[in-house]
Amino acid sequence: MPFPSRPRRQVAAALAGAAVLAVPLLLAACDVKSYPNSTFLPHSEFGKAIDDLWNLLLQLGTLVFVFVEGLLVYTIIKYRRRPGAAPPRHVHGNTTLEILWTVIPAVILVFIAVPTVKTIFKTEARASADALQVEVYGHQWWWEFRYPQYGVTTANELYLPIGRKVNFALRTQDVLHSFWIPQLGGKRDLISNHTNYLWFTPDSTMSTSAWNGTCNEYCGASHANMRFRVFVVPPADFARWATHQASPAVFPVSTVAPPPPPAPAPAATPARRPAGRTASGAADAQPLVRPVANGALGAQAAADADAPTIVQGGSQAPDGDVFPRDSLRPNNIPTTPTPDGLTFTPGLVGDAGRGQKIYSISACIGCHTIKGNPSSVGITGPNLTHVGSRFTIAAGLYPNDTEHLRLWIKNAREMKDGVLMLTLGLNQIDPQTGIKVTAGGLTDQQIADIAAYLQALK
Amino acid sequence: MATTAAPTFATHTEYAVGEGWRAWLGTTDHKKIGYLYFFTALFFLMFGGAEAEMIRWQLRAPNEHFLSAETYNQIFTMHGTTMIFLVVMPMSAAFFNLLIPLQIGARDVAFPRLNAFSYWVYLLGAIFISVPIFFGAAPNGGWFGYAPLTTMPYSPGLNIDFWALGLQILGISSLAAGFNFITTIINMRAPGMNLMRMPMFTWMAFVVQFLIVLAFPVITIAVVFLVFDRFFGTNFYEIAAGADPLLWQHLFWVFGHPEVYILVLPAFGLVSEVLPTFSRKPLFGYPVMVYSGILIGVLGFGVWAHHMFAVGMGPIADTVFGVTTMLIAIPTGVKIFNWIFTMWGGSIHFTTASMFAIGLVGMFTIGGISGIMHSSPPADLQQTDTYFIVAHFHYVLFGGSLMGLFAGIYYYFPKLTGHMLDERLGQWHFWLNLVGSNLAFFPMHFSGLLGMPRRIYTYDANQGWDGFNMMSTAGAIIVGVASAILAINILISRKRGAPAGNDPWGGGTLEWSIPSPPPVYNFVHIPRVTSRYPMWDLTSPQLTADVPHTRAGDKSVEVDVAGVDAGHAGPRPGGAPAGRSPAPVVAAARIPTAEELGIPIPYTTLKPFFTALGLTVMLSGLPFAHADMPGIEYTLIFAGACTLVGSLFWWVTSPLEPEVAHSEHTH
Repeated sequence: MPFPSRPRRQVAAALAGAAVLAVPLLLAACDVKSYPNSTFLPHSEFGKAIDDLWNLLLQLGTLVFVFVEGLLVYTIIKYRRRPGAAPPRHVHGNTTLEILWTVIPAVILVFIAVPTVKTIFKTEARASADALQVEVYGHQWWWEFRYPQYGVTTANELYLPIGRKVNFALRTQDVLHSFWIPQLGGKRDLISNHTNYLWFTPDSTMSTSAWNGTCNEYCGASHANMRFRVFVVPPADFARWATHQASPAVFPVSTVAPPPPPAPAPAATPARRPAGRTASGAADAQPLVRPVANGALGAQAAADADAPTIVQGGSQAPDGDVFPRDSLRPNNIPTTPTPDGLTFTPGLVGDAGRGQKIYSISACIGCHTIKGNPSSVGITGPNLTHVGSRFTIAAGLYPNDTEHLRLWIKNAREMKDGVLMLTLGLNQIDPQTGIKVTAGGLTDQQIADIAAYLQALK
Repeated sequence: MATTAAPTFATHTEYAVGEGWRAWLGTTDHKKIGYLYFFTALFFLMFGGAEAEMIRWQLRAPNEHFLSAETYNQIFTMHGTTMIFLVVMPMSAAFFNLLIPLQIGARDVAFPRLNAFSYWVYLLGAIFISVPIFFGAAPNGGWFGYAPLTTMPYSPGLNIDFWALGLQILGISSLAAGFNFITTIINMRAPGMNLMRMPMFTWMAFVVQFLIVLAFPVITIAVVFLVFDRFFGTNFYEIAAGADPLLWQHLFWVFGHPEVYILVLPAFGLVSEVLPTFSRKPLFGYPVMVYSGILIGVLGFGVWAHHMFAVGMGPIADTVFGVTTMLIAIPTGVKIFNWIFTMWGGSIHFTTASMFAIGLVGMFTIGGISGIMHSSPPADLQQTDTYFIVAHFHYVLFGGSLMGLFAGIYYYFPKLTGHMLDERLGQWHFWLNLVGSNLAFFPMHFSGLLGMPRRIYTYDANQGWDGFNMMSTAGAIIVGVASAILAINILISRKRGAPAGNDPWGGGTLEWSIPSPPPVYNFVHIPRVTSRYPMWDLTSPQLTADVPHTRAGDKSVEVDVAGVDAGHAGPRPGGAPAGRSPAPVVAAARIPTAEELGIPIPYTTLKPFFTALGLTVMLSGLPFAHADMPGIEYTLIFAGACTLVGSLFWWVTSPLEPEVAHSEHTH
């Protein structure tokens, strides 16, 4: 007996400790501020159906856990070897007991199986026809969202109306991905050469709120960096957002626009678009239908400290900001550090007009579409038509501000592992190939101009 | 194989087993091969453990860049691949090799040279799949390598080539060993050892071999498709040509789920040996333990698509696979209760071995409960591909497989080497392991349900995952210390541990009746077996007296026990009952050699090694096709093929062992 009773008490203490520890952790898990991606606070009927099942599973699981571990601990304490005790009787089995512990688990499983099957058929039923249709396309490593009913194509930021059923058609352009918004329900994989469906209704009781979504199927180098944001807004705001997103880019402002009022210039580097500079596609850029008065929002856009101030078309001031920035929670704002050694010349002021020109003749247009810019029709990368209205870039990896946008254009491949977008900055080294960008590389001034242009695409 | 009288041999000079490296490279002795498996798997346990530490160090806090994305992806892929194919399976194989012949009273496995071949293929395949990590070219597609990420358009590097070909090589090793052990168990049991007297470890090993020979062909086909896609331009998984990537998923999981039971049933078997010994009681409900093991094996083939609830199979398939998955909990639960009731009413001796076995019962229960939680397809949609799943399968594979294997290591190390492992270090190993693994894996339940996807090399701050990840990392470091203690213990005790004697623990099965380490022929005389615990019939007849077969003897093996007190049949030859109290279990002063006893022993031979070498060299030529080095490619393939065919021919045309001249030999 080299090991007297102490270890057994430790087993008991450890197991009891684990059980006791689990309870407050579980309670804490209900706090949305501390755990903003929790699956325990569902905000859709799909999520709630799963949560009901989960609660049943957790209760029965806890019951079984406590019973089995309790029995185990009791047994090893009670029947530990004591000095001088008689050798135990050789018992080979007990049919009654063995039938019991076959039947009881089977009965417990019936209690799990019945609601499970009910939930399967409820949640996998066909979505109703009047649902909002959203087509989700997975790409390495970003998300494309299309709203066929609204003619909207956007990337990495999903807007959903509160209280309306949304039906996602999930497809991938390359490898497998998995689409998951923990608070709005379970995930579904994006399978090449398949279309999968997933539907839910954001709770009508929910207020305007933003959630994080992730890719959950390993999809290569930057699987971890394939994130997205979901903005759940009131139906009216959603309609406004959709109409705006469907319209072509409103930069540059058409000459028929009334002269702009002087905008407040809070930013350190205000950039004013030179008057009269109109790209060839300017006529297309003038939206035919504009959303109703939102002049106040134009000021709001200008007040955005990160964006250079662009004077825009008066009452037609385009605006994607239906989601108030102060409704963002800390978890919605990326904190990814920028790579060491990737810097940008300080003090440069970007010129959006110049930026548009450079953009329209550089590599950008091979991959990106900007509706309203006739040279920019690439489809490999995210649609940038209203990129200035997004909160994040690079699939939720960085905030969409001047600093990050400039660095991103300069050397995206340093900013995000494995990314397809080329390293564009002059004299930058492409980490994937090890080759230095020389001829055709963009100077910091050119990059600042492009960034200013993109930020103007509200 | 029952040999009732010692036969004589034509040539006595040829069964020298050789000395030094040749004795190892050419060995066909199942115990030596087990020894090789054991230490190779131990090495890879440290290797895979180091990978785990690097993963956890990366994830200790948000936005860390200790590893680049690419390196992290290689490391997590290799952590899974290493632990499954290079640690748990071969560590189980070490026990199969060491124990199956000893437990069934045989002199070796059915095909000793094939057994050596299995080991060498495993070793060379392990090197093949592991070495690329030192060149930054390790497999990076995850251990289940989902298509189309593994196809050429998305993985043009050599990484996946090494993975696919390495898996093929390792599969050959497992298949060869599987057929070998099935043949051994069916044909080479000692007289009287009917199936329901077989030790539970051998039973579980038997089930596992069937799982291997039925499951590995499926992964072989899946990987052949992939290799053909990558090298020969076929379109099994090429999505641009319209392939359906679900083909890979179905094929992989038809293999992959039985693989889980391939990993865990040997540990269950070991625990079923350890608990009775240290409780001084026979296994509770032996027949039910057998049936539940078989049932787990059978049901294990009907649940594969529960790994695919998120792929959109539709409500019917989700229902079917959800329900079959729930069903598998029943036989598993039966095992848990039978283990507890094996200890119930017993006299439990706490050694490191028994504590690890108890640890398995406790930890596997947690893994089983979380398993039920995602057997429900809707619930699984919130759990799959998150850290909840990572928590689940680490409770199953660390808390189940590894804890069971650790129990087996402490229990059988004396039999393998003749030396006891140090119990003080063992206690440190156990407690650090128990605390560390729970600290590492329990918080993963929370990080998963709080939204953290698996297989991410980094995560953003403010997501509510920081604390749980820090706990997991702290736990992983503790487990790392524990594993280092295990390695030190084994290396020290291998030569310097206390001498074990035949039966250091008071075990009940045949392996404890012979010296440690066993002589090359194992048993001087093939034993007659009349019960499940023949050693206990000898060492504690008063306890086994009321077991019917012990009292009645067994006519079929000419063992006749006259009365309750007259004695018991045990591991001894012939029909004579033991008569009196058992002989004291001490090592004989000198163990006679096989030559003195006239027992035929297979020749030491390098043929299996060269066959394995030829196979590996041949397949290692292929990746050079993608490296644009056709010269090296064709040279390696040709040289490997010639070595393979030549060695195989040489092998099959040479005798296994000295020819038996005498006619008294009975089959």
